[in-house]
Amino acid sequence: MTSNLRRAIAATAGLLVALGSLAGCQVDDKTSADPGSAGQDDAKTELSGSLVVACGAQEDWCQAMTKAFQDKTGVQTSFVRLSSGEAVSRLEAAKSQPEFDVWHGGPADGYGQAKEKGLLEAYVSPNAAAIDSQYKDPDGWWTGVYIGALGFCSNQEILDELGVAQPQTWDDLLDPKLSKQIMMAHPATSGTAYTALWTQTVLKGSEDAGLAYMKSFSANVLQFSKTGSAPGEAAARGEVAVGVIFTHDCVKYREEGADKLVVTFPADGSGYEIGGVALVAGSQNKAAAQAYIDWALTGEAQNIGPTVGSYQVLTAPDAVTDDRMAKLADVNLINYDFAAAAAAKSELLAKFEAEVASKPES
Amino acid sequence: MSAIAPPVGTARPPTTAPTAQTPATAPKPPKKVGHDLSTKVLIGLVIALLLLLIGYPLARVLWNAFTADGRQVLSHIFSSDTSNPKVVLRTLILGLTVGSLGTVIGFLIAYAQVRLHYRGKKIVHLLALMPIVSPPFAVATATITLFGRRGLISHGLFGLSISPYGLGGLTFVLALSFFPVAYMNFKGMLEHLDPALDEAAQSLGARKWHIFWTVTLPMLVPGIAGSFLLLFVEAIADLANPLAIGGDYTVLASRAYIAITGEYNLSQGAAYSVVLLFPALLVFLVQRYWVSRKSVVAVTGKPAGKPQLVRSGVGRTVLLIVLGVFVALIVLMYGTVIVGGFIQSLGINNTWTLDNYRFILQGIGSEAMWKTTAMALVATPVAGVLGMLIAWMVVRKLRGSAAGAMDFIGMLGLAVPGVVVGIGYMTAYNKAFVHDGWQFFPALTGGRAIIGGALGIVLVYIIRSMPSGQRSGVAALQQIDPAIDEASTSLGASGLTTFRLITLPLIRPAFLSGLSYSFARSMTTLSPIIFITTPKTKIMTSQIFAEVDAGRFGHAFAYCTILIIIVMAVIGLINLVVRDRSPMANVGLGS
Repeated sequence: MTSNLRRAIAATAGLLVALGSLAGCQVDDKTSADPGSAGQDDAKTELSGSLVVACGAQEDWCQAMTKAFQDKTGVQTSFVRLSSGEAVSRLEAAKSQPEFDVWHGGPADGYGQAKEKGLLEAYVSPNAAAIDSQYKDPDGWWTGVYIGALGFCSNQEILDELGVAQPQTWDDLLDPKLSKQIMMAHPATSGTAYTALWTQTVLKGSEDAGLAYMKSFSANVLQFSKTGSAPGEAAARGEVAVGVIFTHDCVKYREEGADKLVVTFPADGSGYEIGGVALVAGSQNKAAAQAYIDWALTGEAQNIGPTVGSYQVLTAPDAVTDDRMAKLADVNLINYDFAAAAAAKSELLAKFEAEVASKPES
Repeated sequence: MSAIAPPVGTARPPTTAPTAQTPATAPKPPKKVGHDLSTKVLIGLVIALLLLLIGYPLARVLWNAFTADGRQVLSHIFSSDTSNPKVVLRTLILGLTVGSLGTVIGFLIAYAQVRLHYRGKKIVHLLALMPIVSPPFAVATATITLFGRRGLISHGLFGLSISPYGLGGLTFVLALSFFPVAYMNFKGMLEHLDPALDEAAQSLGARKWHIFWTVTLPMLVPGIAGSFLLLFVEAIADLANPLAIGGDYTVLASRAYIAITGEYNLSQGAAYSVVLLFPALLVFLVQRYWVSRKSVVAVTGKPAGKPQLVRSGVGRTVLLIVLGVFVALIVLMYGTVIVGGFIQSLGINNTWTLDNYRFILQGIGSEAMWKTTAMALVATPVAGVLGMLIAWMVVRKLRGSAAGAMDFIGMLGLAVPGVVVGIGYMTAYNKAFVHDGWQFFPALTGGRAIIGGALGIVLVYIIRSMPSGQRSGVAALQQIDPAIDEASTSLGASGLTTFRLITLPLIRPAFLSGLSYSFARSMTTLSPIIFITTPKTKIMTSQIFAEVDAGRFGHAFAYCTILIIIVMAVIGLINLVVRDRSPMANVGLGS
């Protein structure tokens, strides 16, 4: 018997004792809700304390954003990177004592869910006035910071091998030459793919017509992947010729070295996502959280995106545009009704699973 | 050494002289001596700890599963209107294929290691353990890079265009990731089998194959079942690989994840996870009530002498070829990971670069490295000792259903998908327990918890990594004659003393491998961490996940390489520190 084993046993016991000792102590006075934050101008002068951001975008984006805000205001700003679903679960679990103050980045449908569950607090930032009403919630539950348009991410090398031109419309994807050469995520698992499904509903006029398109489309699909960006990765590797994704993801892969990738937009119409920013209900540093939201809507903050490889279209009118971003003027964006899309979601997904994607796979 | 085995059924000498029973005879059931105080206290402590670590968080998840949304899933789980029955069936198929394939691979390699004569055993041993230290996504990503439709090997070398997505690719990746567990089990058992038995059979004129089928194999039944159980449960609870390479092949774990992240429905997610508990429970019961009856006591302390190594023969050649193929595969996989770290984007843009390392060694990357390592180092000894304690109680100290219950609860940390553990911790421990102004318990997880949420993560590490040590401890103890324990007790030693001085040294190899495995497992845990990571606790696996997600495989591969180096270094240290001085213990990772 070595003393090491004995020490290890002691450590186990030690842990138990430590846990025990934490029990039974008097509660420190819990910080009651902050005194109602004053108007915007006052808040700017008396920002202090710390801020925790639930960040739904890429790691380096989150890092750059929070650091810039901290440098500017002196508020200790940290973040946890979470997908929309994870963010909603975590906010819901800690409803009475939220660990986050602001939610920044990630698709607006997640914000809609959070609003339904009472996890957000409406805040109409003075800076929101400059943002197109299409890209924000009218009551201030969330405000858009970027827009991603759906498009085709093609591998030119594979297209050439197959003798197929770059796809320009949704119907181009039905070309038999593209059999098993297309990848899209499953609408149930990915907001990106649900956007594509809803786009078809709008373009073809009804849910059933949209599903009929999806049925013929699925004949060319190698697999419905789990994550929204996986099809871009597959196209980058040449696993498939075309991935249906948000085009800024495609640009990102190209910037990372996949130089065979080309982006095209469906001329007949494309859906889009809006990345939001919102105030978490019960934030412990509301003044700083509101200042963060105000800042996130400025061109100054949004210009950070392209510096870390995120090429979404920015919502602030004074944000700098980059050649690698989609030109919304050139893209035929459909009239995407987020509320209607969300309301139809569960039923449409059930139909999709029954008629399209639950076919026996190869 | 003596080639004479004592006749069947003779009384066991109390010393460590070689004795054995034939497989046909059941071992004498361990006599349960009345528990002394130290044993009772210990049992109480372990039960309390298990309730804290897994019982309460799981109860919170179950509570969620039986809300309206969850009940809807549960009531439709076998209804053919939905895709649910298919998901259940696929989960079972995956468990069966991975369980069988992984067990077979593990056994073949272990058998070659222990019974064959060939050069380079140490290297093969180390390579066989590589997958244990593999972070999630590493094998799957390497497989897609190498064997995908445009894989460097499948397409580049053979011009094939095969799709790795689906059951085939998933089985391949999971079997390759999990077989080391089976390998370590079998290696330990084979080394502890008394060669006197083989020698006896041989001197009676039996051929080698005949001996293998009728003497060696039956003795390994507990090991086979134990390995299969572990692999089955690991396979059905795994999340990262079904997400990365599963394609359309949706299993319960990925379905639960989808329900939570894609459909914002925590209750449904919990309900799918609850379904996942049933196959795990079933396999567990089979193992307990069928296999334990076949258990053979073959070790009374020390094996007598070394087995004769096979130096020639067709069987040996075939086995060595199989071994060669697996070694080549593993070298390929990890070669890809290591080389990939120095390449811009392997398979897409093959330019040599150091940028990947430059990126991850700055800022958040290095912070995540030391923080993850520190938390795993705290969790490892606790998990190691706890696993052995539970094994000892299950095999020696508790009776019937109590033993079964404790064994099962201990295994839950592994059997329950990581997502569920994460959600459980998130909902159970993110608030302080306050009653009448008195705090009974502080918040353990989340950004507002004590030590920045680090304690919550350490607890998750413990519960996720403890079961493997427990399993190998149980397997090791079942092979050791309870008479040794009884001798200690009858000489007046307390339960705790017996555990410390007799049991632990005897199962030291299992303990050692439990420690090493715990550390590796903590370092590579991802899915529960997603729900409880905080700004103050950056975790390496979630950084890797972020890089894979962003399509920067170069960064991900570089992270994986560093993670593997850290785990290897720490395991090496564990083997040095907990040095083995007993004669029967060259089984651990360091041998």
